[in-house]
Amino acid sequence: MANPAPASTRGLAITEHRLANGLRVVLSEDHLTPVTAVCLWYDVGSRHEVKGRTGLAHLFEHLMFQGSANVSNNGHFELVQGAGGSLNGTTSFERTNYFETMPAHQLELALWLEADRMGSLLAALDDASMENQRDVVKNERRQRYDNVPYGTAFEKLTALSFPDGHPYHHTPIGSMADLDAATLEDAREFFRTNYAPNNAVLSIVGDLDPEQTIAWVEKYFGTIPAHDGKQPPRDGALPEVIGQEIRELVQEDVPSRALMAAYRLPHDGTREADAADLALTILGSGESSRLYSRLVRRDRTAVTAGFGLLRLSGAPSLGWLDVKTSGDATIEQIETAVDEELARFAAEGPSAEELERAQAQIEREWLDRLTTVAGRADELCRYAVLFGDPKLLNDALGKVLDVTADEVKAVAAARLRPDNRAVLVYEPTTTDDAAETEDEEAAA
Amino acid sequence: MTDPTPTMTFHPQPTAGTPAPWAFPAPERTTLANGLTVLHCHRPGQQLVAVEIQLDAPLAAEPDGLDGIANILSRALSEGTDTLTAEEYAGELERAGATLDAHADHPGIRVSLEVPASRLERGLTLLADALRAPALPEDEIERLVANRLDEIVHEQANPARRAAKALYATLFEEADRLSRPRSGTADTVKNITRAAVQSFYADHVRPATATAVVVGDLTGIDLDALLEATLGGWTAAPTAAGTHAPVSADDAGRVVIVDRPGSVQTQLLIGRIGPDRHDPLWAAQILGTYCLGGTLTSRLDRVLREEKGYTYGVRAFAQPLRSNAEGSGRALIAISGSVDTASTAPALADTWTILRTLAAKGLTDDERDEAVQFLVGVAPLKYETAGSVAATLADQVEQYLPDDYQAEIYRQLAALDTAAATAAVVAAFPPDRLVTVLVGDASVIADQVRELGIGEVTVIS
Repeated sequence: MANPAPASTRGLAITEHRLANGLRVVLSEDHLTPVTAVCLWYDVGSRHEVKGRTGLAHLFEHLMFQGSANVSNNGHFELVQGAGGSLNGTTSFERTNYFETMPAHQLELALWLEADRMGSLLAALDDASMENQRDVVKNERRQRYDNVPYGTAFEKLTALSFPDGHPYHHTPIGSMADLDAATLEDAREFFRTNYAPNNAVLSIVGDLDPEQTIAWVEKYFGTIPAHDGKQPPRDGALPEVIGQEIRELVQEDVPSRALMAAYRLPHDGTREADAADLALTILGSGESSRLYSRLVRRDRTAVTAGFGLLRLSGAPSLGWLDVKTSGDATIEQIETAVDEELARFAAEGPSAEELERAQAQIEREWLDRLTTVAGRADELCRYAVLFGDPKLLNDALGKVLDVTADEVKAVAAARLRPDNRAVLVYEPTTTDDAAETEDEEAAA
Repeated sequence: MTDPTPTMTFHPQPTAGTPAPWAFPAPERTTLANGLTVLHCHRPGQQLVAVEIQLDAPLAAEPDGLDGIANILSRALSEGTDTLTAEEYAGELERAGATLDAHADHPGIRVSLEVPASRLERGLTLLADALRAPALPEDEIERLVANRLDEIVHEQANPARRAAKALYATLFEEADRLSRPRSGTADTVKNITRAAVQSFYADHVRPATATAVVVGDLTGIDLDALLEATLGGWTAAPTAAGTHAPVSADDAGRVVIVDRPGSVQTQLLIGRIGPDRHDPLWAAQILGTYCLGGTLTSRLDRVLREEKGYTYGVRAFAQPLRSNAEGSGRALIAISGSVDTASTAPALADTWTILRTLAAKGLTDDERDEAVQFLVGVAPLKYETAGSVAATLADQVEQYLPDDYQAEIYRQLAALDTAAATAAVVAAFPPDRLVTVLVGDASVIADQVRELGIGEVTVIS
């Protein structure tokens, strides 16, 4: 075979259940390794936050680790790690997830812990936890965004891409002012509104006995009352294209000039989004991509050049361009070259070989995500929460491989245009003498 | 207190079932006709196969004044071969759904391939071509050098990178390669030429002193034949394996502040050196170090994060630097994290209090038990993927450790008592023998740090 496909693109065995209180449960058995992943997606993210309370969904996620009726402050971490498990939670625009990967014989503990906080978090939530985690989250913001060069680019470009008042205008980390303003009562209300069994999907993947697992889920989660406090998120609908370029110049103490842009792209879950993924892969993912070849290899005007896709289902997805200049190259040079490459791609479409390469790359990324039980559990929740059916997972890769060159060309022509992007330009404020600076090494 | 939450039925905390037996996988060891050592390991279900190549090209072997040449060579390996241009090579890798990464560190160059099992032959062929016949083209080398010079400027703006650079510079003697950045400085990188890279390649990239590790689902694959047909075609005259000089460091307690005006946080890196993984107390040190700073319920984060809110998280760790067959190699032992600027001195004061309390009173049995349960229990998860198993096996080879080293560490961890863990972590982190590097706004933090009495304070820019 010319390009034999990986064997494990075959489907996972997936079963679905629903408790009387509305909790959706997805199981997938795999006995190769004695580990089991538990993943719980709550259908709430930063898009559900209101003005003046940005960052609340993420701050709240931290509070979920501060104890509940039968679990002490930090007990969740202590019990899972003490059982040989690993755990965490993350917050994005569209959802909040919590996950534990356990040695298979400790699965029941993870279910007990997740049920306890789903049903009784407010019994333990107090001012001390709130004040402490507010400080931790502010330090998370400083470490990841405020204290690193270009660290706030994501926030700035998101704000340019989605208009003021749009549910995706702000990023999950939130603003310092809003983090300061959040009250204990806000957190309580957030829990009462959004944390309910009928607003969640629980997936369990790995070395498990399905009957026993469902019995445990019923035992621990079955009596948590459903409620319908949650309002649908504000409408994220926007026109397919922006209509005119939006642009912001940032003058900061950064090491080099940078051209970043966000293009408005089709919603996640559509065939057009898969076509856009392929277009961005061909243009800007990897060292054989068009932008890398042009800017880094041939023109030598850039030190890095790439495209990424931020898939969003409740608002247009974003195609993320990031180019850092090399030496004295100007933004104008970079922008001219990028526009030429995008226009050429929109006119010609991908070559057969480019499409094959991009599909093979996406296939490997997909295999990589599904190689662990935790990765599979997260993807099952994603398809269940965002698209209503976890079994869509088994068709997802096939859909990407089915996209044609014409479809890739069409989405590039329609969307990768200067009038459909928000642009962020960085110009350094100081011109450090590069010859005096040196490399240094990571210690961890 | 009244609580508005509707009630649920609570049940007692469940007890664990019966654990399934698990052991770190034992690799099989063979040698190809060209002298290449091969370790392989079949991991059912792991459709992404991981291949690690360890090359005997240590940084200490770089020619004088050409620091960074090993890094440039590692990148240049994938910039074209005797039959493919650089762009074609990148395209062929992507067409195979493969990734190829290479990096140079003190023990040598590591090349890592990941490829779906169905395309293992194609991936191994491309990997073999890169090792056997890299084109090392002049224009691509020039570009890699220019790229590296750009990257150095970016790394200088990163507080964690700057802290590491300053720590290594102060800890080790200037003559020791360890004291200088792994990928070179602007002054050395700019002198790297194609001829020098070719010469470094010829001296150090040889199958007889290299090892290949292959891990993944190898069902239906005749690995021996496949390896002979691919990596077996790589030939070069055998050479003596490199030697590794002993490591010494000055860990007298002191503070180096790298001034970064306007920083909203201070990056902390507090370190010294200790024995490497050959040390009989290594497992005890892993256990004790985890109790000190392995997770957010360890001693450091319990105070600095969960009580005081000074940080998003601080970790304690040990990282082998340079090992040798005699077992006298050394590791960096460190505490790392970042705190908001105003909390710099209070966070350091708390850190020293934690270390002194640990030395005075030791760990508790509960801490030891929880740590052992985590470290041993989490192993099946940690080594679920082929990549994680391959990397660990290659590390063992690189550090002159036996193939069953990791399996033995798990056996030891399960048997260690609290006193052993305490003794090891207290020996690893003596409060008066730690070098503290702070990357932050010196105008705000320097005076307060001087008052702490954790060593003489030097400010550099």
